[in-house]
Amino acid sequence: MTSSDESAVLHVLRCIGYAELPRVADAAGLPDLDAESYLIDLATAGLVTRTSGAWGLTESGRAEDARRITRELGTAGARDALTAAYEKFMVLNPELLDLCSAWQLRTVDGMATPNDHSDPSYDARVLERFADLDRRAEAVIADLAAALPRFGRYRGRLTAALDRVRAGALEHLTDSMTSYHTVWFQLHEDLLATLGIPRAWTAAR
Amino acid sequence: MTWIYPLTPGTGESADILGGKGHGLITLRRLGLPVPPGFVIGTPACRAFLRDGRFPDGLETELAAAVRTLENTTGRRFGSGGGRRFGSGGGRPLAVSVRSGAAVSMPGMMDTVLNLGLTTEATATVPDDAMGRLHAAVRTVFTSWHSPRATTYRELNGIPHDLGTAVVVQAMVFGDRDEHSGTGVAFSRDPNTGDKAPFGDVLFGRQGDDVVSGRSTPDPLSELAAREPAVWEQLVAALHQLERHYRDACHVEFTFETGALWFLQVRPGGLTGRAALRTAVDLADEHLIDRRTAVRRVSARHLQAARTPRIDTGDETDLLTRGRGACPGVVSGRIAVTADQAAHMAADGPVILVRPDTSPLDMHGLAAAAGVATSRGGPTSHAAVVARAMGKPAVVDAAALTVDTAADHVRIGERLLPAGTLITIDGTGGEIALGKPSITTETADTHLDRLLTWADELSGDHSQRPAEARLSAAHARL
Repeated sequence: MTSSDESAVLHVLRCIGYAELPRVADAAGLPDLDAESYLIDLATAGLVTRTSGAWGLTESGRAEDARRITRELGTAGARDALTAAYEKFMVLNPELLDLCSAWQLRTVDGMATPNDHSDPSYDARVLERFADLDRRAEAVIADLAAALPRFGRYRGRLTAALDRVRAGALEHLTDSMTSYHTVWFQLHEDLLATLGIPRAWTAAR
Repeated sequence: MTWIYPLTPGTGESADILGGKGHGLITLRRLGLPVPPGFVIGTPACRAFLRDGRFPDGLETELAAAVRTLENTTGRRFGSGGGRRFGSGGGRPLAVSVRSGAAVSMPGMMDTVLNLGLTTEATATVPDDAMGRLHAAVRTVFTSWHSPRATTYRELNGIPHDLGTAVVVQAMVFGDRDEHSGTGVAFSRDPNTGDKAPFGDVLFGRQGDDVVSGRSTPDPLSELAAREPAVWEQLVAALHQLERHYRDACHVEFTFETGALWFLQVRPGGLTGRAALRTAVDLADEHLIDRRTAVRRVSARHLQAARTPRIDTGDETDLLTRGRGACPGVVSGRIAVTADQAAHMAADGPVILVRPDTSPLDMHGLAAAAGVATSRGGPTSHAAVVARAMGKPAVVDAAALTVDTAADHVRIGERLLPAGTLITIDGTGGEIALGKPSITTETADTHLDRLLTWADELSGDHSQRPAEARLSAAHARL
């Protein structure tokens, strides 16, 4: 157990929002017990809070996380490399969102109708393109991890989601709290938070 | 010319060669409607480029000749820009737009280059550099056919990968030139209801890409009637003329520059659900199509969609604004402006989470809410994907809406709505209404009744049965 693990737990809450222990531990890449121990320490320091079983950041926790990740980025001298990798991520992001939407909605007669997954050939086409995008994402995540190693954890989480879909649990592409889209959304948030880029046109939080 | 076709009424090639955009622009020219001068590089040039990795023989020569013709038509010089967009008289340079346009619509999937010929380097260099930039822009558009995103789009929509795209090169017109300039999109009929009245958005004093980038908020198209009556009248007359030509509803993209209207695109059809049904019946009543055609144009999917409950947008409804529907369903609830607020308020009844955009930090609020409305993003934004994952009705891209969490209210135009205000959202048409307006279903729809009567006349079967059966019996006879 190191303080960098504690920072990882704090930062996970900044990227995934309110979550119960198993999701926090999974995202931080820690055993549940270790993650819980850090959460309790962080709660004692007033940085995190627990509401109806879910852990979340306090305002001071958010500020403390911002301080720590800014320091981490500076120490690693990783801003330029991370920015370059973020730009590659943003090329993939619209395609990922197209694919997620195509998985949820299918356009028939010009109309988007819910995809009821009754047409295996359609689902197979979406999944094939998803797998292709995932291969290209692998290279981008490698760039991100080369800049800041903690980004490497997203690789495993995305792969796990895609493996579950391939095993037949179709909700893990877009529709669960550990779906490919959810993890990707958190990666997007992590990049915005780490690089200090405001989510587009947000007037106030 | 082998590769390039002028945007003139005499060009007779099909949309397979000219692309849908180029073909539509030539149709506009034939109808005598104003289109910025320009030319189309046909899809065969793109296919040759993608096959050989270079421009086909003769394309560069034709491109140079086409640009010279464009210079002569406009009386301006290409590449003499010097960065001055709005110089006076003869000092005004020729700038061009370079847009993709495949035979099958692939909206937003390929590249567009605007304002080419206006870069500041042009002062210090020879005009040949502008030609070099034009070549590069054409290569960029050609190459974007094979971008992974475009490939994915074709794969999902069953579009062949070997078609290639045409490239439309036109003299730029500027919606941001002065206070009598602007840009917009206009539908000949309301795509939500089929109501026969021009419908769309207009952005005064701006270019169209300002909307996409979120720098500006568009106004309802009807604003044009008050602010630029001459442009409005010309636009309405053109939509009428286009409907008679296509024998269908249609929509256009337009720019007006110093009071002069220009069309940048036209596309027929595209209405769905209730709007498709009503328009088919109305067009038959207007004798633009016969009843057989009207019945053929309505599919079983349209009938199903027409049955989706919707906010009644009649006079009794206080419609606050309209965004885009991202997850169908009508739901009422009290406004919450943060996720935490939504989570707290949800214990006392349904809540609508209203946010500029959503982040993972909003997920617990979204889970607690009955529906969500955002001012940014589109139907394929993270917010839309998450709303659909949770099955929550969602309106996105309600650009007129701003959220002020510090003041604990939402502003829509001049109106302030404190958190806790009851609103209703419609995740099909994107409407946001005050209070709890009445909901419509298609059961009382006279247009549906009439269309199904026509269907029965075609099938010869007048027995009692479900609407889909009546329609499919008629389709079987067509």
